[in-house]
Amino acid sequence: MKRKNNKFNKRPQNPLNKLSLFQKSDSRFSKKCPLSGKDAPKIDYKNIKLLKRYVSDTDKIMPSRITSVSQNKQRKLTSEIKKAKILGLI
Amino acid sequence: MNFYEHTLIAKQDLSTPDLNNIEKKYKDIITKTDGKVIKVEKWGLLNFSKKIKAYNKGFYIHYKFEADNKTLEEIRRNSIIDNSLLRHLTVKYKKLDTDTEYFKENNEKKK
Repeated sequence: MKRKNNKFNKRPQNPLNKLSLFQKSDSRFSKKCPLSGKDAPKIDYKNIKLLKRYVSDTDKIMPSRITSVSQNKQRKLTSEIKKAKILGLI
Repeated sequence: MNFYEHTLIAKQDLSTPDLNNIEKKYKDIITKTDGKVIKVEKWGLLNFSKKIKAYNKGFYIHYKFEADNKTLEEIRRNSIIDNSLLRHLTVKYKKLDTDTEYFKENNEKKK
């Protein structure tokens, strides 16, 4: 008897969710973090060529779910971008 | 003794002798309060992404040095009083890499 109830408590399966999960797993998880490789560029407030890539055209810092940067590098990136902004480089 | 990187932004309407003595002034401050200047970089005239105090361009001077807290306090006090400086930023580092220069190429282009 208990098992039956269990069946009805399951979350309603959303067909759309299944489809998007399939697509997401293809494109997003497979991408590796571009900054944590062996010969990755150094994250520095002077290295504006690199920092500009992770800043949107309205000078906002891009979220890591779009640029697939690892959390540790994303934290370094934001602090360096803010230092560059103070100096007016970015 | 920690490693620091200090960048100054001077106003764009300064003449080159003024710039030189600004650079010399802060170099002397560091050496006077027993700091050790490792490298001085002049990034030249760069334009800002946003206006800073109604200025669009500024001369950037970059110091890499090893110092104590006293020199930092001295530098900060002087650069606040000095009205020819727009902005300054000091960053502490465990170890400095003095080989990569990011703003060297636009100096060459200008020369």
